[in-house]
Amino acid sequence: MSAVLEARNLVKNFGESCIIRGLSLSVHEGEKHAVIGPNGAGKSTLFNLLTGYLHPTSGEVFLREKKISGLPPHLVNRAGISRSFQITAIFPAMSVFENVRIAVMAKHGSRFGLFRLATRARKINEDAWHLVERVRLTKVAQKPAGDLTYSEQRALEIGMALGPGGDVLLLDEPTAGMSRDEAAYTVELIREVTSGKTLIVIEHDMSVVFSLADRISVLVYGEIVATDAPQAIRANQRVQEAYLGEDHGAA
Amino acid sequence: MLAKASRSSGKGYAIALTAIIALLALGPFYLSDAWLGVLGKAYIAALFALSFNLLSGQAGMLSFGHSAYLGVGAFAAIHVMKAVQAGLFWLPTPFIPLSGALAGVLAGGIAGIFACQRSSGVYFAMVTLAISELIHTIAPNIQELFGGETGISSYRAAFLAFNFGRESHVYTLILIWTVICAIVMWLFARTLFGRLAMALRENEGRLPALGFNVYWTKVVPFAISGMFAGIAGALLSIATESANYSLFSVDASTAVVLHTFIGGSSLFLGPAIGAIIMTVFGYAASDATRSWLLYQGLIFIALMLSAPRGIALLALDTIDDIADRGARALLRALLIVVAVLLIAMGIVMAFEIVTQILTTEYQLAHTQTGRWNSISVYRVKWDPLSPFTWLVAIGSVVVGVLALRRYGQRTGPAP
Repeated sequence: MSAVLEARNLVKNFGESCIIRGLSLSVHEGEKHAVIGPNGAGKSTLFNLLTGYLHPTSGEVFLREKKISGLPPHLVNRAGISRSFQITAIFPAMSVFENVRIAVMAKHGSRFGLFRLATRARKINEDAWHLVERVRLTKVAQKPAGDLTYSEQRALEIGMALGPGGDVLLLDEPTAGMSRDEAAYTVELIREVTSGKTLIVIEHDMSVVFSLADRISVLVYGEIVATDAPQAIRANQRVQEAYLGEDHGAA
Repeated sequence: MLAKASRSSGKGYAIALTAIIALLALGPFYLSDAWLGVLGKAYIAALFALSFNLLSGQAGMLSFGHSAYLGVGAFAAIHVMKAVQAGLFWLPTPFIPLSGALAGVLAGGIAGIFACQRSSGVYFAMVTLAISELIHTIAPNIQELFGGETGISSYRAAFLAFNFGRESHVYTLILIWTVICAIVMWLFARTLFGRLAMALRENEGRLPALGFNVYWTKVVPFAISGMFAGIAGALLSIATESANYSLFSVDASTAVVLHTFIGGSSLFLGPAIGAIIMTVFGYAASDATRSWLLYQGLIFIALMLSAPRGIALLALDTIDDIADRGARALLRALLIVVAVLLIAMGIVMAFEIVTQILTTEYQLAHTQTGRWNSISVYRVKWDPLSPFTWLVAIGSVVVGVLALRRYGQRTGPAP
């Protein structure tokens, strides 16, 4: 299978401390790939490296054989990688619909729509409404995003990540802080909206990981210690020692 | 925080606004030349405040050096006026502000290219302040461009039937430009890019992940804001037929911040309303008393404490309240206004008596005659030694405060 996103020997130092230590990762076209690991393992740092928010100290990232490490985040996004954030990053005073409209604007080449009234941009508005529908927020579309419930805001976060239309999607803890029901709802939503796309997801909730992922990578202290199918990961001795042993019992 | 998108009667406000503008447009028929002059300055201040708020309120970039773009526009216009006067080329007076727009957009764009480099928040404000201070320091040394300490002057050329020698012609020109610019800025907030600028304010860090280059997304509103500030500066040059390097001083930069916060930045016209009120207040009060700057400061403090979202929103909320609850709300609003006036009058009276006693003229008269002359405040003579005088001053403050505590509970909703 071909690798759509590939990290080779990534290293990231923050001053003296080494957060990512020679990490290599290969994500297949169209797969749902989960990255798990204990707190402080470097999962969010990895996402920031893959999306251009951080630049690696050494090593490279490739998107379909094209080098993307070193590019600023907006160019990484235009190359086809979209992401969500662990801490909800929306535009709170603007309506849900407007949040999504901003997210789809770049795809339509309207980065500098200086002379176009927003209400007149028919294609962009249609596209935005469609996306609002897909993440099931039509009922609250006119509400300020800051007034939504937490799980609605997380759904909006996913919708915004879908906006630019990249076919590689990185979701950072999409169900963090949710109840069981909310998490199950969100997992179903993610499965629905990411069909046909490549998904990389950071997750703490093991039931979410095992129900969603085709393959799992285990990140421990800045290194991938194993990448395999869920059952194999469950059985992997090293993974159990490093991670599941201390955390899974509680989950 | 949240802008009131749909007020109960948006159409009613639109009609009221149109009526007010029509009333102002008819100003030359019922206002004295002096008042036309004052209002013209007020409209310029309003346009300047709107340009400032386009950057700080809408896009969330607080500029502490906005006088730079006002000044650049003013000097561009005065040079164009001089060139027209010398017959170098022809540009009718009504279109002179275009030169201010061009100079403003260039100055704003260049300043934005530096100021948006990697700074945001306080650092951005400091860089903008530094840029305007730089110009303010250099300007008096460049004689040809800024005319040194004395500045540059020119005169308004006649155009068709308008000779612009009359105050009413200038007044109308300023009003037309201000209204057109306000409409364009209002429309800008509703363009795709205007919405993007608002998203910039709301969450800058999110934009790169949506494919936007944040740097240029910030430079463009800066340039646009500079353009409208430049138009305001050009109008000022037309109104005064001169430009001086003191335009670049922090005074104008500070005033525009005050105007914006007094009027309220969350409502589109808030800054303009703040600017008009404070400019008119400044002219009226500076005629009446030497301590007017003190009173302006007190008004600002009192407003920030009681209505931090600004006068405009406070007024709209009150109107909505009256519309909802009728006569009781109206009575309450009137009582609050009376209470505030009582407090203000008491404080002003006390200050005026004390400051007049402290003047050298009064002291001289006192040492010569040994008498404490009575002091005129509100066209009434007050004996500074009489308990009655102080009873009136302190009494009105106390009554006002008591009334506010009794009826003013619901004013100034928490932000």
